[in-house]
Amino acid sequence: MQTQSLSSALRNQFEYFFEQQFNIYKNEADFVAFKLITETTRDLTVRNGKPDQIYSSYDFGLLIEIMHNGHIGYSSTCELTPEGIRDAFFKAKKITTLSSAHALTQFDFSVRPKAQGRYISQRTKNLDSITTAEIFDFLKKTSEKLKINDQIVNASSDAMIVDCNQKYLSSQGSHFEQDFNIIISAFSATAQDGSETQTRSLHGGRAICYQIGSEFFNLEKILPQCEQTGLEAIELLTAMNCPTDTVDLILAPDQMLLQIHESIGHPLELDRILGDERNFAGWSFVQPNDFGQLQYGSKIMNVIFDPEQTHEMSSYLFDEVGNKAQKQYLIKEGILQAGLGSLESQYRSKKVFGHQIQGVANSRASSWNRPPIDRMANINLEGGQQTLDNMIASVENGAIMFANRSWSIDDYRRKFQFGCEYGKLIKNGKITHTIKNPNYHGVTVPFWNSLKSLSSTQTIETYGSPYCGKGEPSQIIRVGHSSPYALFNQVEIFGG
Amino acid sequence: MVQNKIQNYIHKLSETLFNELQGDEQLSLFLHSEESSFYRFNRSLVRQNSHVQQHELAIQFYKEERILKNCINLTLNLELDLKTALDIMDNSRQQALLMDKNPQFVKIKNNGHSSVIKKSTYPSDEQIPQIVHELFSDTDLAGLWCSGPLRQVSINSEGQFHFFETDFFFFDYSLYNGPLAAKGYYSENQFDLNTFNQQAQFTKNKLKLLSKPLQKISKGQYKVYLEPMAMAEILWSMGWSTLSQSQFNKGHAPLKKLKEKLSLFSSKVNFTENFELGMTPEFNSLGELSLPHIKLIENGHLNTLLISTATAQEYKLETNFADPKESPRSLELGAGQLQTDQVLQKLDTGLYLSNLHYINYSDIQSARITGMTRFASFWVEKGEIIGPIQDLRFDESLYNIFGPNLIDLTTERSTFVDIGTYQKRSLGVLKTPGALINNFNFTL
Repeated sequence: MQTQSLSSALRNQFEYFFEQQFNIYKNEADFVAFKLITETTRDLTVRNGKPDQIYSSYDFGLLIEIMHNGHIGYSSTCELTPEGIRDAFFKAKKITTLSSAHALTQFDFSVRPKAQGRYISQRTKNLDSITTAEIFDFLKKTSEKLKINDQIVNASSDAMIVDCNQKYLSSQGSHFEQDFNIIISAFSATAQDGSETQTRSLHGGRAICYQIGSEFFNLEKILPQCEQTGLEAIELLTAMNCPTDTVDLILAPDQMLLQIHESIGHPLELDRILGDERNFAGWSFVQPNDFGQLQYGSKIMNVIFDPEQTHEMSSYLFDEVGNKAQKQYLIKEGILQAGLGSLESQYRSKKVFGHQIQGVANSRASSWNRPPIDRMANINLEGGQQTLDNMIASVENGAIMFANRSWSIDDYRRKFQFGCEYGKLIKNGKITHTIKNPNYHGVTVPFWNSLKSLSSTQTIETYGSPYCGKGEPSQIIRVGHSSPYALFNQVEIFGG
Repeated sequence: MVQNKIQNYIHKLSETLFNELQGDEQLSLFLHSEESSFYRFNRSLVRQNSHVQQHELAIQFYKEERILKNCINLTLNLELDLKTALDIMDNSRQQALLMDKNPQFVKIKNNGHSSVIKKSTYPSDEQIPQIVHELFSDTDLAGLWCSGPLRQVSINSEGQFHFFETDFFFFDYSLYNGPLAAKGYYSENQFDLNTFNQQAQFTKNKLKLLSKPLQKISKGQYKVYLEPMAMAEILWSMGWSTLSQSQFNKGHAPLKKLKEKLSLFSSKVNFTENFELGMTPEFNSLGELSLPHIKLIENGHLNTLLISTATAQEYKLETNFADPKESPRSLELGAGQLQTDQVLQKLDTGLYLSNLHYINYSDIQSARITGMTRFASFWVEKGEIIGPIQDLRFDESLYNIFGPNLIDLTTERSTFVDIGTYQKRSLGVLKTPGALINNFNFTL
């Protein structure tokens, strides 16, 4: 039996049972919702042309939501039997009832709207049309292409192929299903010469992330890119170290993804602003009164929450409590407009701050075993007017940096330091030397206000990350980010 | 008994699976099972409560020098779980020979039998919200309570069976005075309300120190004292890949100069993988048993990295039976000579740092790490705390932190259980002293 058909078999097995069980419990509390997740992942890594990891997981389970006196609590189980679900339901009911006496917020039913519909991510060929052995063969060929010569000590290709299905039923009348085909991949080459070691990858570690079918596996397209990646790893061995300087800096889209994620996405999460994350991921420098007021960046900065982009990794029809997902401006012409806050956070903002902060449909969970919280989805920077050539020509003393390799930012999301894999110096409008170990640091609001120009919409590239972490208990989630090339004025850069 | 239920279940399931093996095929199973209660607090009230019943079975299939790893969740319906597992085995059998041989392939063997069950006592799920609310209603608390049994079982087709169950709890929290915060942490074998109360009071007192005038410190080099919790952040971050032999061979080698003796740590530095800390199973996810102590760095010299059997096979080395991930599971940094009550006096003038945050390598080759100060961190002059600082970014090499800039480590050490809860609860422990360090580099 093929991996994917096994996944379908599991899904079919639980589907009827799930609805039947929901009907037993749906009137047993003020509000009840059942969410069934079945997710099959194939994760393969080929290193130096040899198998490194051939892994498949079949993850399934049920999340039960209960509301009692306005407090929402959860229980989850992979014991998908009548006994297992009964135990989980009554555990949720008992603990939620007791906790409601010390609850932070008493919600009303507006935070769990009625939602009905179906979402199927865009694909030309379903993921079950490709076998694990065929994926292995694809990765083997790309790994061999990365290994330009013996200086490449590690040539690694990997692909994570995810087939995820969510079904949600609630006592408010919600009944929706979402079906995602996702591929996440990485191709990297590490070159070594004596004490010098450099790694170059295709757009950074696992940044190639799309909602897509098996048409992704296109050798003709990927092999030249792998060869170039290997060549650039070797080039870095003899490149000059990034100088310590203050220069105009162009960031490529495969670094902008991280810049957007850490210094726009996280600080705008309303649950952070409301303090939920203070003990773990952190708080935010953004204040409740900043919405509609704060000049977050320069006037050319337009940032959107956009769950409607075909192929971007975190597109969906509803968030995981049934809120309809729609494109929305977070920052328009540099002014902060809206937060990344779910219906719960919007409701809480009114109670805590006295005015409701505009939010989005972003209540999401990593899987069946964690409650939904405020998450990024697709957070994108809109394009500008420049061609990349004109942007480079406009720089007198500067650098361009590609592909993230290091990241760190404080718990208020102010002071960041990021490192890239590969850079070039720019002098008098022309690219000069390749530089290794390029790093830069800055402070979020001044940095975005130094945004000088953006390349055009045609140059926008789309990436993502499968590993956005936050929450207690902790959760990772998949996010998408697209961006043009961006030029920033007078940034401090330094090397290794 | 729940552990017997799980033990019996995995026995029954595995017997059938092992009977289905053909020819030279082998099978290794690893079960992670937990029944966890989580309470998430904000403003000393319950933001979210959740309970998780999770049984994750890794099925590693070996055939003709190929290895295919699968993972399923168990429903505890034997008929259904057997059908899924047998389908997976059949699928693995078909796919395996379509792929190349694995250079890390080693036939599995029987690594013996063991059964360890550790019990803790702590308040019932029903009592937690009330206890926390009552104790912290006078302050603004954010944090996580986690408790419940966690089991790991390693069983293979060669007759091996290792069972480990623990029942630990932790309360990881922070208290706030506006934007300034003090960190608290409580985890013991036996919950004691008086001790919990004392620790809460200690954290509340620390929070009071934050009301002193805020000190704005410029970037530059300062003498620092890192509390054990700050040191733990550095050690956890080193656990990701720094001590892994496999990562070293792939080019991720921050300790290359140490390994090649081009640079040494201070003779005060001793890193040991010490399973006698007793918080983790002695067997790894393949059921292999390490020696009770693996001296990784001894008197500043690197003795060995963590070497799994797979890495040993590929690079022709000797395994020390590290887990295939080659992360430390029970890491200990040896104590020094510095008395804790002498810390402020010995620091004299500099920064007292309670916590660090978001550490990552900024330059792997020179082992340079960057991160932020966090929570209660203070400027100290002539042994007196002057006031809390605005958070600073550091960028400093491990060769300086553990090398010539290390003045001393404290005699007293703290033990931290792994509070990781990504996807499932982590099992791990770390024991570390505090450290007094010269010329620590702050950049922003």
